[in-house]
Amino acid sequence: MIYYIFSIIFLLSIAPLLLGFIKSIQMLLFYKKMVSIFQPYRNFAKLLKKEVVISQESSSITKIAPFLVLSPLVLIVFFLPPIFGNAFYVSFMDAFTITGLIALSTFFLMLLGLDSGNSFGGMGSSREAFISALVEPAMILNMFSISMMAGDLDIAKAGVNLSSHFPVEHMSSFIFAGLSFFILLLTETGRIPVDNPQTHLELTMIHEAMILDISGFYLLLIEMAASVKFVIFASLFASLFMPIGLELSPIFALLVFIAKLFIIAIAVALIETNMAKLRLFKVPNLLGVAIVFAFLSLITFYVLEA
Amino acid sequence: MFQFDFLSLIFIALIILGFIPNFFYTLGYLPHIQRKSYFLIHYFAFVLSMIGIVISNNALVFLFFWELMSLTSWKLILTEANNEKSTLSAARFYFFMTHFGFVFLLLFFLIISDGNFELTFAQMSETASSFAYPTLLFFFLIFGFLSKAGAVPLHVWLPYAHPEAPSPVSALMSGIMLKIAIYGLFRFLFDVLYPWQLEWGVLILVIGSISSLVGVLYALSEHDIKALLANHSIENIGIILIGFGMGMIFDSLGFRTLSTFSFIAALFHIFNHMSFKSLLFMGAGSVLYQTKTKNIEKYGALIKSMPITAWTFLLASISISALPPSNGFISEWMTFQALLGSQNIADMSLKLAIPFAVFSLALTSGLAIACFVKAFGITFLGLHRSENAKHAKEVNGLMNFGMVLMALVVVSLMMFAPFYIYYFDQALLSLGKESVYGKIFVDGIFTLHSAGENGGVVSPVLLLGALIGITSLLIGVYKLLNIKTRIYRTWACGNRTASNTQYSATGFTGPIRRFFYWLYKPDESIKKDNIFGYETKFSTAEYKMHVTPLFEQSLYLAPAKAINIISFWIYKLAHFEKTRYVAMIFNLLLMVLFSYRNFVYEFSWATLILESIVMIISVKILVIGEK
Repeated sequence: MIYYIFSIIFLLSIAPLLLGFIKSIQMLLFYKKMVSIFQPYRNFAKLLKKEVVISQESSSITKIAPFLVLSPLVLIVFFLPPIFGNAFYVSFMDAFTITGLIALSTFFLMLLGLDSGNSFGGMGSSREAFISALVEPAMILNMFSISMMAGDLDIAKAGVNLSSHFPVEHMSSFIFAGLSFFILLLTETGRIPVDNPQTHLELTMIHEAMILDISGFYLLLIEMAASVKFVIFASLFASLFMPIGLELSPIFALLVFIAKLFIIAIAVALIETNMAKLRLFKVPNLLGVAIVFAFLSLITFYVLEA
Repeated sequence: MFQFDFLSLIFIALIILGFIPNFFYTLGYLPHIQRKSYFLIHYFAFVLSMIGIVISNNALVFLFFWELMSLTSWKLILTEANNEKSTLSAARFYFFMTHFGFVFLLLFFLIISDGNFELTFAQMSETASSFAYPTLLFFFLIFGFLSKAGAVPLHVWLPYAHPEAPSPVSALMSGIMLKIAIYGLFRFLFDVLYPWQLEWGVLILVIGSISSLVGVLYALSEHDIKALLANHSIENIGIILIGFGMGMIFDSLGFRTLSTFSFIAALFHIFNHMSFKSLLFMGAGSVLYQTKTKNIEKYGALIKSMPITAWTFLLASISISALPPSNGFISEWMTFQALLGSQNIADMSLKLAIPFAVFSLALTSGLAIACFVKAFGITFLGLHRSENAKHAKEVNGLMNFGMVLMALVVVSLMMFAPFYIYYFDQALLSLGKESVYGKIFVDGIFTLHSAGENGGVVSPVLLLGALIGITSLLIGVYKLLNIKTRIYRTWACGNRTASNTQYSATGFTGPIRRFFYWLYKPDESIKKDNIFGYETKFSTAEYKMHVTPLFEQSLYLAPAKAINIISFWIYKLAHFEKTRYVAMIFNLLLMVLFSYRNFVYEFSWATLILESIVMIISVKILVIGEK
């Protein structure tokens, strides 16, 4: 139980660090002066001190939506696969529940974008609705496939099963699912090539467009939600597709897990620096690849049993 | 004549749960209706006829109430017909479609009752089992009931009929009447046509998957809020049919627990769809009542003036989008688990096909979220888009009471899911299926388990509690920090935010419409007032778009056009070229005689060839002539 609580606190607190790490790696690759990896924490502290300006056009949705954007994502953290071997975990979450909870958070984010009557907000919501509708089937099929390889539909239990006896005979479908999931990781967390978290350019904004009107504590909540979403996907990828290190002693298991998270962050940073952002109407092609890989993974699992 | 078995009682409960909130809403809505006694008579007859259908036990009574339900609902659509052409044509279309289904039901009963319409359903099953072509009977049922339920391709009347009816009637029709058709499927497939073939279940699964996708895709392209909701009914009927089809597949393959689990998912979704769709139609009705328009582009900012309508509409939107921990989520989760139970099936082609149903269910729920962000966001958020929306007030107390009552039904379906599932399980048990209640709630009523091996687990109550807990913790932190809050203008690209700077509903679904352009094929028109002949500079611009559903185009309008052309040709022939017309009749007669001789009486190749030559010569000389 103590490990369970520790891992939740650990994941929630490391979340901003990962985004800061990605940012500083990018700066390094651009030959710029690196920002501190603790910059996101400083931003949060700054936002905490600022006053909240609420748009005069907005309604009561703006007053509750930021909280409801963050809380489903925090809830997911409680149900993630364990970091430590033999630790307590809650097995309440399968593919449909996790996509549902993420969609609940996105639902309120999109309403937030539409609430103030700003044209940017509507634009962001519209684009987000488009992309998240196409993400859903890929995510569900993918989770379905990986949990079948693990022999349990529950994600936390699947993570434990995969690490206790890795299905070497299903390697090919495992790799297909992994590729598909990595695309989803980039899409859902809003990184290049789908969305650029740094930009405030009208043509390319998705996530940032929805939250242009938000400030102060509300913005802090939404920024935190973005970082928690990244840590959720990174830790799912780490537990499901790099299932090693769970059987080590707690300290080493934690170190291995942190190393896995940072490897994912480096991979994301490398992709961000080396790729251009896709046009909005090319994004479905990328998601189509994710869906096809998820299907391929299922079909190879069923037909070839490989 | 009548029976009150468990299945009937379940559906009576459905009707009562849907009717009571609707009744209060109707009382509040009544001042809006001009022909009050006309409306009330048909309204009550409609509800009674639905109860009559679910308790009837022979063909005569069933068909009587079925026809009564069709006719009263048809008359109810015509309530607000102030000589509006759209209402009249929608009602005519509905009348035609419902009788199209009725013909097939009549055929079904004529065959299985052997002409004796007073046989009970249990006695009919003997005739049915001795009938040589059970698949024919199955198809009669499919046409008869699914044309009422609104499954693809017999769904085209829904987006026309529902918007034209008064809102409480739309709520009843969409919430309950469509489910009565599903009741028919339950009743006659279980009681009469019992040993099912595998293909039947597959067919229903395919219809369900296609319906769910088609419904949500056309809902996205709608501007009429009630037509949008009607399209969502098609989607939800699809989801119900996915559960139903999986149940039939599992049953014919011998997976008895999974079969019951799937049927429970379907029954639960029937209840859930009744609750949230009624609530949505009531909300749409209230908005319509206040703003006098159905066009979603004319709404906006109604949450400020109509808070109760807005919040209940939000609850229903969350539920219909299958977002956890709502009741819509629970039943879609169960449907999804039923689909995932397919991993145990041995038949490889079936096993590979079912992930496509998973795909369509997942894409449907993704698109439904987009659609309800649009429906809620454009209607209730932002700024007023028209004068009508500006003067909207909260509706009267009775209507609000009806909506709140229905919201309570939605919440109760979420909170007391185990209670409802227990009765669904009992109903299926009485129909000869295995009980799975013990398997679903293995450790207490707080967690739902899938009935499949290594199935998933979900705990809606725990999710709800945790969500409320975390959210109130965050709000508590916010309150504790005592942060200064100011309401002020925010940056809007240098302009003042005004109603025309917001995104419109058409704009909101723009990316999706563009991606599915091959399906929608919209009729677009852009009107611009260019300045000084510059292409890119204009003072005002107007973009209009209309989508004609593909099925309507190909299955209804195209055949109608073809029939028109043929009848015009025959008309020309009969009136202006009488000799050729007579010659054609003569040739037709000849062909009937020859084919009778050949195919029924006695077959020989020699006469066939000889007679074909005679036919060809006769057609050449008499009909075609010397061209």
